[in-house]
Amino acid sequence: MNLYTIIFEDNSVYQGGDLENTKWVEIPNKKIRTIFYSLPLGDCLGLSEYDKYYHYIEVTTDIMGENKGKINLEFAYLIGKKGTTYKMYKINLRTGQVEVMILEEKDKMIQQLNPIGWH
Amino acid sequence: MATVMTLLTNFVDATKDYDNFPADYIAVDLTNDYLIWTAGDSVVKDLMTHEPTSDELNAAATIIDDSLDTTVALCLLMDYSHDVGGSYYTHKIIGMSENKQYVFCFYFNGTTGTATIPRLEAWDTSSHTTIDKNVLGLSVPANSMIKAIRTTDSLPGTGWIGTSIAGAANYLELDTAARSYSTQVYANIKIVIPAAYATPSAETFVLTVRYTYL
Repeated sequence: MNLYTIIFEDNSVYQGGDLENTKWVEIPNKKIRTIFYSLPLGDCLGLSEYDKYYHYIEVTTDIMGENKGKINLEFAYLIGKKGTTYKMYKINLRTGQVEVMILEEKDKMIQQLNPIGWH
Repeated sequence: MATVMTLLTNFVDATKDYDNFPADYIAVDLTNDYLIWTAGDSVVKDLMTHEPTSDELNAAATIIDDSLDTTVALCLLMDYSHDVGGSYYTHKIIGMSENKQYVFCFYFNGTTGTATIPRLEAWDTSSHTTIDKNVLGLSVPANSMIKAIRTTDSLPGTGWIGTSIAGAANYLELDTAARSYSTQVYANIKIVIPAAYATPSAETFVLTVRYTYL
């Protein structure tokens, strides 16, 4: 199952990859109308009417301890930008819980994002 | 594809970076290899020809000093495959705790690099939920005995103090910005036991790298 589906303003559709290969950077440079995002527990999150969108995956790799070397999927982040306000969905990939946060341009979490990830 | 992190440790010359001197580094097989923090002795040392036993490690434990903070003297990479530099099981990590720049190297591959700045964290276990152990400050992150400092761009400085890492709040940022390409970043890490610390123990802990990809 695709991690997300994007519908562009021109009605074309783009299918995302999975948690290991999201295909986010390959999204065509077109205006996004809606993103349908598949949540871990089976629900679907729909985002639309934002100026820009961002998505990334957070993982951990222990370098000491009993599970060292394993790549642990921790969180997925889906962000919608409108003006100088950012709505961030922090999706816990272990529990499926979704936390919603409102952030501003000045917040460190926004400022440190790799700019190539905005669509 | 997802960005993958590889840990490389310098076993030759900590003034040389991985980009230009890759032969100075061992790529740690995180499944089988492991790090040993020890005072070292005539048995537990650089270039061992067998894997150290528990008894040998206990005999080479660090002694807590009554009046001075004690930095654990040696970090050995236990190289399970023992196929580097002449079939030795242990390799001293050169420059650990010293004023040296290229000691622990974290290599992030992948065409998308990282989405945010990668972090080095320390926890009790792989569940990454608690910091109750002595070495992690007994739940007080500032008291963690694990000190780390980013050295990608400069030497850490003589007598460097570093960041006391423990838990989600006290971590080391391994870079100054997210990167759009594969990259290497460097850190130096040491364990400092406070003077006259009252609870001798043999503890395991988890060092983890938290990073992101697009």
